[in-house]
Amino acid sequence: MDIKKTPKKLNVKEKYRLMTRDLAWEPSYRDEKEIYPYVDYEGIKVHDWSKWEDPFRLTMDAYWKYQAEKERKYYAIIDAHAQNNGHLNVTDARYLTAIKLFLQSISPGEYASHRGFARVGREFAGVGPQVACQMQSIDEIRHAQTQVHAMSNYNKFYNGFKDFANQRDRIWYTSVARSFFDDAMSAGPFEFLIAIGFSFEYVLTNLLFVPFMSGAAYNGDMATCTFGFSAQSDEARHMTLGLECIKFMLEQDPDNIPIVQKWIDKWFWRGCRLLTLVAAMMDYMLPKRVMSWREAWNIYGVENGNALFRDLARYGIKPPMHWDDVEKSIDHTSHQIMLGLYQWKFGTAFHSWTPTASDIEWLKEKYPTTFEKYYLPRWEYAIAQKENGGEYNNFGLPKLCQTCQLPCLFTEPDDPTQLAHRETEYEGEKYHFCSDGCQHVFEQEPEKYVQAWLPMPSMMQEPLKGDLAAWMEWASLEPTASGEYANSEDKANFEKWRKQVSTD
Amino acid sequence: MSFEVTIEPLGQTIEVEEEQTILDAALRAGIYLPHACCHGLCATCKIDVLDGEVDHGEASSFALMDFERDENKCLACCAIPESDLVIEAEIEEDPDSRNLPVQDYQCTVSRIEELTPTIKGIWLKIADADGIEFQAGQYINLNLPDDIGSRAFSIASTPAEPGEIELNIRKVPGGVGTAYIHDELKEGDDITFSGPYGRFFVKKSADMPMIFMAGGSGLSSPRSMIMELLEEGCEHPITLVYGQRTREELYYHDEFLALAKKYANFTYIPALSDAGDDGVWQGEVGFVHEAAQRAFNGDFSGNKAYLCGPPLMIDACINTLMQGRLFERDIYTEKFISAADAQQVRSPLFKNI
Repeated sequence: MDIKKTPKKLNVKEKYRLMTRDLAWEPSYRDEKEIYPYVDYEGIKVHDWSKWEDPFRLTMDAYWKYQAEKERKYYAIIDAHAQNNGHLNVTDARYLTAIKLFLQSISPGEYASHRGFARVGREFAGVGPQVACQMQSIDEIRHAQTQVHAMSNYNKFYNGFKDFANQRDRIWYTSVARSFFDDAMSAGPFEFLIAIGFSFEYVLTNLLFVPFMSGAAYNGDMATCTFGFSAQSDEARHMTLGLECIKFMLEQDPDNIPIVQKWIDKWFWRGCRLLTLVAAMMDYMLPKRVMSWREAWNIYGVENGNALFRDLARYGIKPPMHWDDVEKSIDHTSHQIMLGLYQWKFGTAFHSWTPTASDIEWLKEKYPTTFEKYYLPRWEYAIAQKENGGEYNNFGLPKLCQTCQLPCLFTEPDDPTQLAHRETEYEGEKYHFCSDGCQHVFEQEPEKYVQAWLPMPSMMQEPLKGDLAAWMEWASLEPTASGEYANSEDKANFEKWRKQVSTD
Repeated sequence: MSFEVTIEPLGQTIEVEEEQTILDAALRAGIYLPHACCHGLCATCKIDVLDGEVDHGEASSFALMDFERDENKCLACCAIPESDLVIEAEIEEDPDSRNLPVQDYQCTVSRIEELTPTIKGIWLKIADADGIEFQAGQYINLNLPDDIGSRAFSIASTPAEPGEIELNIRKVPGGVGTAYIHDELKEGDDITFSGPYGRFFVKKSADMPMIFMAGGSGLSSPRSMIMELLEEGCEHPITLVYGQRTREELYYHDEFLALAKKYANFTYIPALSDAGDDGVWQGEVGFVHEAAQRAFNGDFSGNKAYLCGPPLMIDACINTLMQGRLFERDIYTEKFISAADAQQVRSPLFKNI
């Protein structure tokens, strides 16, 4: 009788090798330089691509299996959400402002990441990073799609969701995120991975996703919450890719260390500037709050950041250059940004409002040293104008920072009563900046940032020539989606429909 | 009643007793599963349960999250089978691991010697005539009486002497276990231990020069490893950088001087951090990492490094090695994770150092 012998199963490492590393080949009739023309010009020296380690060891076949299961789960919940009028389960329609901001600025960033990873996956010369980048590229387009699908349901009922693709390119505050991702995508392959894979995915992603997803959950938005969890299950792999890339560069050659340091300095600062929008969302836009921006920063920024930079110090890497400035700004930025968004609310594709009495109490408690002293008086001024039948608007156009593209509305790190303005002259033109950090980024690569597309100057140029109404139409800024929340169609409709549902 | 546990991808089946953890049973069967803290905190031992039921025991909800429990994962160090099981672990074959089974040993304290004012040498004669088979660098868990529990100690003697092992034990201030050993244990006492444990052994298959860095009571493993290498006729350069605070704490100094004389490929670099100013000490002054930095002129590439000693020394040595172009894949340390370590926020940049 034959004894059935079970063949020894391949171990994970062996299987991974067969399904990834073994897919590569040595080129025979073209040389490596022709095939991978972009791996050298950033100055990163690589001696041995095989030293790239892939701690995740996910093979393509397993990847499809996992992702398909995630999609199945996800769309079951989205369908249920749509069929049961899930949009009426959110706390109140103010919550929509948070997800409008997210859809307009962050979701297109997922799509940009998808394109970026597809590109660098082709440009890297080692099969390990090629496979990892390919997977992340597919992840990112999945994230973009699931986010658009989750929010398309809101688009059936509310204003401001209808044109996210054009809005991403044309609105002034979305250009902040746009310029961040465009900057990364137009950099070399290694810098792209430091920008997105390391700074964004590792250092800053928890600050973005954890508050946003908990905010969605707290405020009853199961659809958004679910895309968050679905996306987060990919994040561990993304973070690993970013970390592996940085280790690889630092270990390959000591000459890489100063280059990597420069990128860390740049992308940490750029990321923190981008996240000021999230800060405003957390402190001002969620009807039910999760935690303050300061609390989130202490956990995800300071604690995790310190642990990481302690370890990176072993390679001779120093904490990011403008870390102290970020720390000093944390108790201020959300208030400064929200006051900005509120005074320019005629030009935002979401509604805003002045804080209520209970909001004010909460802000005082969370920001005991700054809110009452510096920002409450300005809110009180706006509230008083409303009470007298007026509206607090600023119809002047803000001066934008040439690097981060936010209005120059931040204060000096050591003096919250002084606006921070910096300028640099380059080839006879003056360029303006919101901070030392942004000025520093510009001065490292002026020839790149002088080409930046800035929404305010473009409005003054051909063909709009300062025609505000024409510009608003071009940027899909419909009047029903802008302005004070209390007077909005969204608020009226939400309340009407909710009443209908609860009396049924 | 016991259960049968099949371990994939090996396809090997082992028996697990009632109330025994999967990790304990696997190690005792000579199958190495990755593990570190052994208390359900660090998640190093996370495995997949392909078939059957387990009790998760004291697994921390941070180390093993709810969704992972739903996905039939468990921590081998805490999980106790409730039925026959099939599990899958990420087993990497290490060509240098002999995967020796852990066993319990009866023995007698055959000799106690004062090596320094704070360190005692303890020799244990094993009752079983075959003694213990172990790899140089591994440790044992010594069982102490009066509910003290067990304590881990590296074996300071070489595998060439399986019948009697030597332990070098420092009296830890406030430590109940080491106080018992220093103050009450005497020659002729019967005592038991289990072993061998640990993955800290020489990567002979790498076939490369080696640097050993030892300080405090961390000399045991490096001593066993170096003596074995030299006795086996290893021809690669071997360097021991060995630090203590003062000359009287520098135990086995004369022995290493003699070895360095006898073997041309062995370099011995002793360093004292507090040499005094009487001019008697002629060797290196400073910490281990400083002495190593000078000896290698700041370039450690092309070596394998083995580190053993107090956490601060290990940390300083890793920094020095990395700045001297030697990285994680070539650095080995013996780590003992306590509950306090698991609480600390660590970045995931490094896995093993």
